[in-house]
Amino acid sequence: METPTQPADGGSGTPTVIASEAKQSRAVLFGRNVYRSLFRYGKLPVDAEGQSYAVFNNLFLHIHPVKVSRHSLRFSYTLGLGVIATALFLVLTFTGIWLMFYYFPSATEAYGRMLDLRSAVDFGFVLRNVHKWGAELMVLVVILHMARVFFTGAYKPPREFNWLIGIALLLLTLGLSFTGYLLPWDQLAFWAITVGTSIAGYAPLLGPPLRKFLLGGDVVGQEALVRFYVLHVVILPGLLSIFLAVHFWRIRKDGGLSHPNDNDPPLNGGSR
Amino acid sequence: MKKQNVRMQQPAMDRRTFLTALGFGGVGLSALIAAAGNLLYLKPAVDYGPPSVIRAGRPEEYKEGIKEVLEDQRVVVVRDKKGFAAISITCTHLGCTVRTSDAGFECPCHGSQYDNDGFVTGGPAPRPLDWYQVSVAPNGELEIDKSVTVAPGTYFKA
Repeated sequence: METPTQPADGGSGTPTVIASEAKQSRAVLFGRNVYRSLFRYGKLPVDAEGQSYAVFNNLFLHIHPVKVSRHSLRFSYTLGLGVIATALFLVLTFTGIWLMFYYFPSATEAYGRMLDLRSAVDFGFVLRNVHKWGAELMVLVVILHMARVFFTGAYKPPREFNWLIGIALLLLTLGLSFTGYLLPWDQLAFWAITVGTSIAGYAPLLGPPLRKFLLGGDVVGQEALVRFYVLHVVILPGLLSIFLAVHFWRIRKDGGLSHPNDNDPPLNGGSR
Repeated sequence: MKKQNVRMQQPAMDRRTFLTALGFGGVGLSALIAAAGNLLYLKPAVDYGPPSVIRAGRPEEYKEGIKEVLEDQRVVVVRDKKGFAAISITCTHLGCTVRTSDAGFECPCHGSQYDNDGFVTGGPAPRPLDWYQVSVAPNGELEIDKSVTVAPGTYFKA
């Protein structure tokens, strides 16, 4: 039986056939080189070393440690809260950038643009609502994530510094939530920020200057809207991204998610 | 390895340490100055807010005993036997707009209550409502300067 790679005429091929085959194999070689340059590890790895190598050499996979404790793979241990918070941040980033195509941080325009997004722009209401509800959910999930880390003792050494990074991420999340709340520029937004910045003004010493810095004046107006907009779309997400990168890096460097020592007897009394 | 020159005193700080400290100190100082400059840049230098001096119509438009709320200006113009007064309707608690009530003023946000002169009678408000300076502009209209507060009970006689 002939294999498909053999020439159909049994091996006595004409020069034209050989030339076309060489051409084809150059193209295949080129394609293989391109593929190899993108995905360093060609075949799916089958042994432990190959699997470690594949994870280690991929930007998106190397967020994981090369070895993961099987304890931390139990879903009920983390409930996936950190991953959910990250996913929500990505969703909010993309919907937020999309909303920026129509939104305008002007005291006379903003409210109308928000209404247009809701009623006139195709799928505008979807983007706006995903952004809004995603934001509410992110605050909730970040707080739940913090509670999970507390209850599993994952804040203890050597992970205590990552707990502090987490606090910064919580504050940045709340800051994003607060600055985003003004942008619809409706009555709810106006009075919420009036009250919120007044609360900030009660802080000793730093309160009044902080309030003035946030509002760009004494009342919630055009200046406040621009300042909240810049904080919401550039400064706070940028800071959050940096802290997020450090947060993930520290998880790896601190030995992955918190888990019992692998030499400890299994918690459930079962086999390892 | 360590070669000591017996004729020289050991300096308090060797050259390498001194130059390192100088370098890091310089960079640190530059960073501080740059940070201070950026903060100063963000400090609002120009007030783009609504003007603090407002005109409130001619004095004879106000009947005695009236409390005329100017919602947009967030001020209430009071006229009684003693004269004119302009009282802020911005709650001193967290900045909501108070509304007039039978007893004086009350805040819809957190329930602060004030009497007719703006003194706190209940709720979380920490201090009385502001009284603004009232005068008469050259064209005969009442003029209220919201940047100047006067003691509660100070009336202007037109």
